[in-house]
Amino acid sequence: WLVIAVGLVRAYLAKGSYHSLYYSIEKPLKFFQTGALLEILHCAIGIVPSSVVLTSFQVMSRVFLIWAVTHSVKEVQTEDSVLLFVTAWTITEIIRYSFYTFSLLNHLPYLIKWARYTLFIVLYPMGVSGELLTIYAALPFVRQAGLYSISLPNKYNFSFDYYAFLILIMISYIPLFPQLYFHMIHQRRKVLSRTEEHKKFE
Amino acid sequence: RKHAGVEILDAKTREKLCFLDKVEPQATIAEIKNLFTKTHPQWYPARQSLRLDPKGRSLKDEDVLQKLPVGTTATLYFRDLGAQISWVTVFLTEYAGPLFIYLLFYFRVPFIYGHKYDFTSSRHSVVHLACICHSFHYVKRLLETLFVHRFSHGTMPLRNIFKNCTYYWGFAAWMAYYINHPLYTPPTYGAQQVKLALAIFVICQLGNFSIHMALRDLRPAGSKTRKIPYPTKNPFTWLFLLVSCPNYTYEVGSWIGFAIMTQCLPVALFSLVGFTQMTIWAKGKHRSYLKEFRDYPPLRMPIVPFLL
Repeated sequence: WLVIAVGLVRAYLAKGSYHSLYYSIEKPLKFFQTGALLEILHCAIGIVPSSVVLTSFQVMSRVFLIWAVTHSVKEVQTEDSVLLFVTAWTITEIIRYSFYTFSLLNHLPYLIKWARYTLFIVLYPMGVSGELLTIYAALPFVRQAGLYSISLPNKYNFSFDYYAFLILIMISYIPLFPQLYFHMIHQRRKVLSRTEEHKKFE
Repeated sequence: RKHAGVEILDAKTREKLCFLDKVEPQATIAEIKNLFTKTHPQWYPARQSLRLDPKGRSLKDEDVLQKLPVGTTATLYFRDLGAQISWVTVFLTEYAGPLFIYLLFYFRVPFIYGHKYDFTSSRHSVVHLACICHSFHYVKRLLETLFVHRFSHGTMPLRNIFKNCTYYWGFAAWMAYYINHPLYTPPTYGAQQVKLALAIFVICQLGNFSIHMALRDLRPAGSKTRKIPYPTKNPFTWLFLLVSCPNYTYEVGSWIGFAIMTQCLPVALFSLVGFTQMTIWAKGKHRSYLKEFRDYPPLRMPIVPFLL
């Protein structure tokens, strides 16, 4: 994710504008975000104590956005909304993985813990906005090309409308985003207040 | 004759909820639950879980007070299981839905397909046959719920009815939409395919019914006895030689038959999801048979002969 961050900064400095930076980090973004599928596996086999369902949810939604929206609908790759969510994800992941690394080394700087449980307040809405705007931008092109859609009649008597599916996905953000957001806020109160308690006794 | 005292504490807060004095030592947990309801009417017996240990397992209604490891005053811990609904009610609701919903699509009730198709009839004979089979299946289930099944538990949590009905009604609507669609495409291999599928369906329906009757005969009315099921004179029950839950095996078979008959992908997906759920149930049932009976036939698999 540092590779992606550095790639973004370098491309910005080289081009002088922040448009179409997606192309400069497309490959590492796909590689590292798809690699996060391993996190689901780790939960499933038990080496990580998190919930499989929650982790699958988070990782699959990212992978969906990268492959089924951004990669599949080439016309949205130049949208600024893509930069919005890529930036949010990059900062979030750099902090999150640093948090895990330092925790494992038993040497977690308070700054990293603070960052992980505070910056999400801005980064999370930022990422969600970027994601929703990107899906929204993709809609007309999906409609036009009939992307990933099957219509009747066909011999398996089945139909799928990817355009309607994407709209359903967007609607699902309404109940899901507040739940996840307030869960993090609750976690923040728990984790950061605990550190304050420990500091009092030092 | 010694009378026992029973104190009931909340399992989470340890708060004393009730003290029952002069309880007969031969009283059952069911009777104690009834006494508890008198002081706390909002907790009817079906929602009470009473246990000896706050984190232990629930005591059974049939357990007798004096046979439990307690002193002259028994301490029982109470946990509220939440609003309960009877199994019969859940089954009737979840099965009546698909029966009715499928017919709405079959008769092409307005606002489902385009207006020019309102109340029209499909020109494909397999569509009519499919409606008969689907309807027969759910009528059979409703009748079995009313007259055949003997339930071990009286009730289940209320939220289950919403979950179950969403599943059954949702899938019924999804399948019915395509099968009864004006643009429906009949099976690739025509009448041959439909005949084979119908044979599979009928055999599996008869099989499933035979197993339900055999299981019913294992348990006398009103009792909760548990016995190993064995094959009877009815050839459909001979599947007991190879599987613990042939009723599930036949059920999956019926839906596979229906999928072949209609050549409809949503039906195949419904069969797959059903198979997954029934496999989980069959494995659980198989495990509890093995735990309960030392002499359980070793050749039997949970749901698929020799395989699963």
